Amino acid sequence: MKAYRKHVILALGLLAAGGLRMSWEAPLTREFRSDGLLAKPVETATREKIGQTSAAVALGGLRTLVATFLNLKAFSHFEAREWSELAETYDLIVDLAPNTPYYWTTGGWHLAYNSASDYLTRTDLPALRRREAWRDSIRRGRAFFERGTRLNPDEPSIQAELGALLSNSNKLLDFPAAAAAYKAAADTGKAFPYVRRGECLALARIPGRELEALDLARRLYADPHNRLPTLCCVRFALESHADPSKDPLKLAISIFGDPRSAHDQLGEYWVRVQERYPLDGVASALKILESILLVPADESVFKRALQPKETPDDWFRGR
Amino acid sequence: MTARKTIPFSRVRRVAVIAGHAFTQLVRMKVFYFLGFFAVIGIASNFFNLPQQSGPEALGDNGMDLLRLIKSWSLGPMTLFSVVMGIVSTALLLPKDVEDRTLYTILAKPVPRLDYLAGKLLGVLLLLFVSLALMDLLMVIMLQMRLSIVLEVQASLGQSRGWDAAAIESLKQDTLAQGPTWALQGAVAAVFIRSAIMAAIALLISTFSSSTLFTTVVSFLIYFIGHFQADARDFYFEGGEAGTSAASRYVAMSVSLVFPDFQLFNVIDAVIQGKTMELIQFVKLTLAGIYYVAVYTIASWFVFSDKEF
Amino acid sequence: MKAATGKGPVASQAPQPDFSASSLAIGRRRADTAGVPAVEIRHLVKDFKTSLKRQPLRAVDDVSITIEAGEVYGLIGPNGSGKSTTMKALLGLVVPTSGTCSIFGKDSLKVDSREDVGFLPENPYFYKHLTGAETLEFYGKLCGLRGAVLKDRVSELLALVDLEGARDRRIAGYSKGMLQRIGLAQALVQEPRLVILDEPTAGVDPLGSRQIRDLILKLRDRGITVFLCSHLLEQVQEVCDQVGIIFKGKIVKSGRLQDLIAIEDQTEIILKDAPLELVAEIEALVKRSGSAEWLRSGKPRTTLERLFLRETSGDES
Repeated sequence: MKAYRKHVILALGLLAAGGLRMSWEAPLTREFRSDGLLAKPVETATREKIGQTSAAVALGGLRTLVATFLNLKAFSHFEAREWSELAETYDLIVDLAPNTPYYWTTGGWHLAYNSASDYLTRTDLPALRRREAWRDSIRRGRAFFERGTRLNPDEPSIQAELGALLSNSNKLLDFPAAAAAYKAAADTGKAFPYVRRGECLALARIPGRELEALDLARRLYADPHNRLPTLCCVRFALESHADPSKDPLKLAISIFGDPRSAHDQLGEYWVRVQERYPLDGVASALKILESILLVPADESVFKRALQPKETPDDWFRGR
Repeated sequence: MTARKTIPFSRVRRVAVIAGHAFTQLVRMKVFYFLGFFAVIGIASNFFNLPQQSGPEALGDNGMDLLRLIKSWSLGPMTLFSVVMGIVSTALLLPKDVEDRTLYTILAKPVPRLDYLAGKLLGVLLLLFVSLALMDLLMVIMLQMRLSIVLEVQASLGQSRGWDAAAIESLKQDTLAQGPTWALQGAVAAVFIRSAIMAAIALLISTFSSSTLFTTVVSFLIYFIGHFQADARDFYFEGGEAGTSAASRYVAMSVSLVFPDFQLFNVIDAVIQGKTMELIQFVKLTLAGIYYVAVYTIASWFVFSDKEF
Repeated sequence: MKAATGKGPVASQAPQPDFSASSLAIGRRRADTAGVPAVEIRHLVKDFKTSLKRQPLRAVDDVSITIEAGEVYGLIGPNGSGKSTTMKALLGLVVPTSGTCSIFGKDSLKVDSREDVGFLPENPYFYKHLTGAETLEFYGKLCGLRGAVLKDRVSELLALVDLEGARDRRIAGYSKGMLQRIGLAQALVQEPRLVILDEPTAGVDPLGSRQIRDLILKLRDRGITVFLCSHLLEQVQEVCDQVGIIFKGKIVKSGRLQDLIAIEDQTEIILKDAPLELVAEIEALVKRSGSAEWLRSGKPRTTLERLFLRETSGDES
């Protein structure tokens, strides 16, 4: 049967051509993957989540387009405060477009900040459940950021967001991890300057690593652009911590330049108790500065109300 | 002995005549205009700054995301258009000729069957090339316009925030990488190559079947399956979990051998993110495309060469 | 007075297109291929598979046809008798189950056999968006013609088939007769020595039919071999030298037309302005001869076709 034979020959021919192709196709794919030109193949679970047809389309190279549409969908979940749907959608989005930092930072923002804040104010849940939901949101946001940093090690923005989350006193603090995140972000060389400062600020709040922090603070201080109030105050505190015998006034003036600036900045710094910055030597410096500047007693910094030193747990009690 | 001289490159000329003819035939078809129209609309919609959401969408910092958006919104319609047009045009060329019996008049001339097939395929490729080139031009114009706006805003924002020159420069370089680069042209070329492969596959299927619908549907199925091809290949080589039968692995292997691997062309996604493709890598991709097209065209010729009408 | 001998009727009075004999000098080539038959089909058999279980359908059953160069051969038979299949086998569009076909000695399955043949399929459609001239140019380019040679050939052919007025009209606007004529023109574009026509006058009005018939005769005068098939028997009778009758895939009768249709034992005499007495005298003469028998006399009938043409073309037939 001629037709039958023809089909067999054709099938064999295609298989043979395919075999020949394999010799260069697999290495080429590997090369492209290692160069970052090809994303890793989508995990199987995702393929189940997306419908059959859109899976094919998504895998058909239109991933980024589908991700764009899903992003719009996610925004409507945000507006409607559907947090679990939002989380699911973002999981899909980052599966489709794992190398777009924007999706990671936005998704994490929604989870750790928006979702968490929403649970704070929900009156229909008992306090304990709200607290748990709040913590859970933050943890998920953190996990989301961390996943993003694993898949995009060269991308500073995700690391920086992670650092910011972990050093935010309104959230779940973890200064060592925050410092590491900021460091990783700054080390890429592509981060904004505040990231390195953030590393320093996080390090300063880890007991036992003050010397590291001081070293970094000095280096940062060397660049005039970095001499922002918080950094200067932190450096002051770290210097005092490292060497308590230093003269507070001299130190203050060497860092801040003049007594008035020193007084104002340290004063603001003093009341920010909640953020747990090191306060070594700040009190004695302020006393000296107030006497130099002849500040009236009732305008003294020490009379001002401090930030409430409460942890987020406290928010959930008695509400 | 006839009085006719043999003209140099007569075969090439013949193929060119058939190709040019197929091109003019397709360009007149309504389906082409509709598809092209929608693709162009899709790309031109970038002109209106579609806000993604009303969050932190300050033009300066997220300018790069906007450029990425433009690229993905352009390459997406381009992909859709080229694949659909590539499959549908090829699928209808042969059945149309058979139905109109014009095929007889052509094959009754001293036209080798391979020349006929090659001519039709090249006509489709020419159509795809011209359309994609026009869309590419549109995309580049819009990208360039946005890019200059974004760079301006970045420069002024950077100044006002007191950044140093190095930081501004590095941001500028990153933003430029998101603009119209040669890598982006490479991505458009990859779109073309992918649709060329699909056209060759549609040609092969149409030599079997006389129905345009059948050819179209099967070609789209192959397009979809082609994206799983790499996974099938990985499955075969790395094996599944314990308990995967040898039979299913062999099936996976056959799938990966016969179907084309379209995942290779996902480099387009990477370019949208702003990664660059080296020239040598682009050349390899092109050679891969040529290999596929040649294999499928030869297979088509094999089937068509003694097909009866 | 004229004795009818069964040859074709007097040439029609349709306007005669003017063409130069030198450019379509096919006759010159005739001498080179003396002895090689234009078409040689030997024991052609073609089976088609219908469905998997049933027996294959034998469309052509041991057909052998030989056509010498310069002849007009007509293959006639009812629908489904295998005419088209035989032609397609000759053109290589269909692969024979067994047997061979060749054109001027070249095997039909090879591409170069088609250098010498032009084909007009049944009910042809051409690409509607092209004009008449563009269609011919397309086919000309396929055959390797180009430039000024191509342009001249196109003009020549359009003149030959009397479509100069419609050369810039799209094919979509052509009538059936015009389509057939442009089809004939494209078949001739590369100066073939053999022309194969599948139902050349199917669906064409009598005027158009007449024009096509005249073209066929012109082709014959140039030495081009014509192989046509039709089931309009009157027209076949008018143009063909040789005829084959095919029925259910077999050639049941073939030979020279005149030999086949001559009613051997009868003679026809046609007179004009003959007085009745003369007729009576001739009748008496015949009766006296003893060996011949007077069958009938009376007024011969014109054909409806001639009447139609006379009325519609405004000429005296």
